This record gives sequence, structure tokens and C-alpha cells, in this order.
Amino acid sequence: MRRVVLAVLAALAFPAAASAHATLVSTSPPFGHELQRAPARIVLHFDQYVKVLPGSVDVLNGVGKQFASDARVSGTNVVARVAPLKLGAYTVRWRAISADSHVVSGVWTFGVHVPAPAVGEAYGAGGPTASEHVVRWIWFLGLALAIGSLGFRVFCLRGLDVPRSLERKIAVAAGLGVVVAMNAGIAAFSLRAEDALQLPFASFLYGDLSPMAATRFGHAFVAMTLGFAGVLALVYLSWLLDRAALLVPAFALSVLFAGGLSWSGHDALDPGSSWKTAVADWVHIAAASVWIGGLATMVGLLWYGAPELRRNAFARFSRLATVLIALVLGAGTYLSIVRLPHLSDLWTQSYGRVLLVKIGLVCFALAWGAFHHFVVRPTLDRADAGALARIGRSLVGESLVGIAVLLAAAVLVDSKPPARSDQQAPLGAATTLRP
Amino acid sequence: MLPHAEMVHWLFASGILFVGLCLLCEAVVGREVWRARPWRKYLWPSVAFGIGVLLWPVMAFFTNSSIHMYAHGSWAEVLMLAGGAELALVHGRLESPLWRLTWPLAFVVTGAAFIVHEQNPWFFARSAFLHHLIGWTFLIGALVPLALALRPRSAAAQACMALTILAVAVMLYTDRDVAPVFGHLSPLAGVPHR
Repeated sequence: MRRVVLAVLAALAFPAAASAHATLVSTSPPFGHELQRAPARIVLHFDQYVKVLPGSVDVLNGVGKQFASDARVSGTNVVARVAPLKLGAYTVRWRAISADSHVVSGVWTFGVHVPAPAVGEAYGAGGPTASEHVVRWIWFLGLALAIGSLGFRVFCLRGLDVPRSLERKIAVAAGLGVVVAMNAGIAAFSLRAEDALQLPFASFLYGDLSPMAATRFGHAFVAMTLGFAGVLALVYLSWLLDRAALLVPAFALSVLFAGGLSWSGHDALDPGSSWKTAVADWVHIAAASVWIGGLATMVGLLWYGAPELRRNAFARFSRLATVLIALVLGAGTYLSIVRLPHLSDLWTQSYGRVLLVKIGLVCFALAWGAFHHFVVRPTLDRADAGALARIGRSLVGESLVGIAVLLAAAVLVDSKPPARSDQQAPLGAATTLRP
Repeated sequence: MLPHAEMVHWLFASGILFVGLCLLCEAVVGREVWRARPWRKYLWPSVAFGIGVLLWPVMAFFTNSSIHMYAHGSWAEVLMLAGGAELALVHGRLESPLWRLTWPLAFVVTGAAFIVHEQNPWFFARSAFLHHLIGWTFLIGALVPLALALRPRSAAAQACMALTILAVAVMLYTDRDVAPVFGHLSPLAGVPHR
């Protein structure tokens, strides 16, 4: 036993040949900067000694032309000389061999006399894929469930004697929505970073995400993660302490932080965008989430779980939905006009065609909702159990159309609106490097 | 303006130490005596839940490696789940003792995340050694909360749970290279740094 202890102590005192993954500490030029003078060299500073092979540092312009010479090691720096760069945006892709022979890699962008493109627009990045559409859809579903269930409880069940079982179900639904939204947000951030880095999965796990975190999308990701963690805590405490009043700040926070999607999206960053389009996008997302999520909550939790509240909840939600639809249509129409200034863009541009599908689904949902509002609502008082069950099934149908609208919205958000020739990009906006 | 990494490790180690000390007190005096004051039964579950909430900022800001982001996110979620379930059990909002199985789940997820996200082998530096040690402590130590879930009145299981948490807290305090234990083991790790 003593020999074993001595052997362990000796192993600790005299380490075997050890190795590590290197971490990029700083770069020159820095991430995402607009330079007034073209750099003569690219410098990567690591936290340890690394090795490089020919082609370890690439400096690429918008058409993939390479400007960097072979990199060399200088202390813990990797240095590559750069041919004279003209005005334009550039992507730096790098690889280095750590002491343990594992390869670390990354990407960042800079501009010479132009704004640097977002790292998600780096040369070589492929753009949104079907996976990103699905993840974005799940993100919207989570947001709708969270915001909708909270909004339904706050606005439609206020002052009513809500059974404890229904309170618990609403808290669970809201909590589930928040968890789904947070994890979908992490997945969306990861997919965007993976597209920018262009690494195999195993390498991506140890890839440097800080350039992506420095974008507006990254800032929105951080804010939304923290905000929705707070919403989750409030929903939990509301259920634990039996204090429905805590759901009010939870709802307010969830609506506020849903704006992160608008702040980092096309309606805030693309040419022609302004604070008005960003606010309109936020109003559009928030109102749609309350509408679709509230409808799903009413039909999924209340209609069969608390039938004594059906009539009151239906009447209140119907009035609320009128306001929500006005907001959705108003904001959506304004954004459509900004994005597609010509009517023919609806069928000549790919963005327009996706928007047409979404508009079609929205019209279908509106017609179904109008049927519920104008035909069903006046007959509720004298409806029997059979009629109420049929109304429940009809509400399920309307909810499913709403879920389909969210899928169309997810594809639309990941699509790029057509460029406008008469507008300049706002300061700090991204310049695409994709051909 | 983010705090230094070792400060964050020490802050969380302090929270975990507090939880461990509460568990130890409860194990020493017995559950009935510990809960003689109604507020005491909420003490350590509240802190555990709070630590889970506070792990979200760590997850969101630590993005220089995707695996670190996933590890911290997974800890945040399982700690909120386990701490929240424990709070609900002591408050009476949940009744089924099966909810205590969230603790072995939290231990397994935490241990696996510690081991997977540590890129270096055991003897590269003190931080690597302790990350592996903490990971395996959690993985093997998951048997303790499992035993406690199946035998909630067992004084031995309560004591083991408290000592496991205390051991993790001590290891987390020594988790950074700036502290003197062992020191910087490999010259390939460069000069001592955070």
C-alpha cells in the first residue's frame, strides 16, 4: 500500500509528457473591425506554444482569393504576412496544432475601409440550412407556448376562480415553453457558429465561438438566455408559492426578451431597416406568440381540463384576439411593404414566395378565428356538451394552422430579403461575403 | 467587465460549501431537529436552486469554447430541476418521493459534463486534475443521492451526501492554477496563469 501511495505522489511530482488544446487569446487585426489601413500581417496570440503547417492561415476576400503567405510561429504567436489588400471585406480562417497534436481552429472577419461582415457571413459559410429552419421553428413554438400560456393566464383568467390543477398545468406549460425556447436558442446559436467555423463536429466542440458571440445575434442570444432564465425562475416561484401575481412580471419579461429576435434580425440590420422596422417586428412576434400560444393553452389545458371556465375564457380570448390580430396584421403589412417595395416581388422573389405561403396560412387562420368569433361565440351560452366538444375540436384545428404559420415564419426569418438599391446599410451593418 | 475565472469558481464553491454544511448539520442533528425551525428546511434547497439560476450567466458569457457553453448550460438546467424539486417537496407542492431521483440525475449529468468538457488529461495542470477528479466524484457519487432517495431516513446516506458535497466544494476551491496546491505541473502549460 505504501508503494502505491509513493508511486502516485511520484507521478504527481514528475508529470508525464502532457499536452493541451491551445486557446486563442487575441488577434491582429481584431475581430470584426473596420480598418483604415490594410494590415501587413495577421497575428494570432495563443495561451501556449503551437505549431503550424503550410496553409494554416487563410485571408480570403469575397470571391475566395487567398492573400496570406505561409504562417510561422513566433513565441506563442502565429504570424502570416499578407499581400496588399484593397478596399473590401475579408475572412481569416486559421488552424493550429496544440501541444497534444489536436487541431484548434477558428474564423473571424475584418474590413478595409468597409464594415466587417458578420462572422456568420464569412467567406465559406453556407447560410441557413433545413436544420436551422427546424430549430428556428422549435424556437418559435417554445416562445409561443411560454408567452401565450402566460398571456392567457394574465388576461383571460384574471379574476376567475381558477382550479389549482389548471394553475399547475399552465405553470408547467409556461415552464416547458421557456425550456424549449432556451435550448432551441442554444441550438440556433451553435448552428450559426458551426456554419461560420466550417469545422467537423468533433473539432467544433472545441472551436472558438467568441467571434460569433461578438455579433448582434450573439448579444441577443446572451440577453435572451439570461432573460428567459429569469422568466423560468418567476414561473417556478409562482407555482411553488401559489402566487399568480408573479406571472405578470414573467409575462412582461418574456415579451420583452422575445424582442431579442427582432433586434438581431433582418428588420434591424438589413439595408432599409430602422428602429421602426425593429419595433414592428417585435410587436409582430409578441402579438403572434400570445395569439397562437394563448389559443393552444385554451384548447389544450382549459377546454377539457376546466370546462366550467369555457364560456368566460372563450369570450375573453375572443376579445383579446381581435386586438392581437390587428397588431399582427398592422405590423406585418408595414414590414412587407418595407421588405418588398414592389407587389410583383411577392411572386418573383424567393423571399416573397415564402411570404405568400405565410400570408395564405394566416388568412386561413384568420377566417377560422372569425368563424369562432362571429358564429360560435354568440351561441356559447346555449351550447350543450356535444356542441362544446365540437367547438374544442375546431379550436384544435385553428391552433394547428397557427403552428404551421410559425413554421412558415421560421423559414422566412432565415431567408434574406431582396436587396434594395436605393438604401444604404445602417452603420455597423453586415456586408455579405457570400458570392 | 467579467470577473476572473477563479473568482467565479470560488463563488460557486462557496455556495456548494454552504449547501454541504447545511446537509452535514441536518445529518448530525437529525431531520426532525433540523426542521424544528420551519425556515431551515428551505435553506439548502433554495441555495441549490439559486446556484442553478446563477449558472446561466456563466453559460451565456463563456463562449470561447462550445463544449464549455454546453457543460455550464447542462449544470444550470439539472441544478434548477433538482433544487426546484427539493424545494417543492419540502414545501408540500410535490408529494412523490420519486422526485428525489432528480439528484442522482443531476450528479450523473454534472459528472459527465465535467469529464467531457475538460480537454486536457489528468496530469497536465492542477485544474485538469481536479476537473477529472470532480467529474468522477460526481459520477460515482451519484449512488449516494440514489441511496438517499430510496432510504430517506438513513443517517449514513445523509452523512455521505453531505460529505460528497463538501468534498466537491473543496475541490472546486482548489480548481485553478493560481492556488498553491500541486502548482503548474507541465512546462507545456506555459507560465502559471488563470
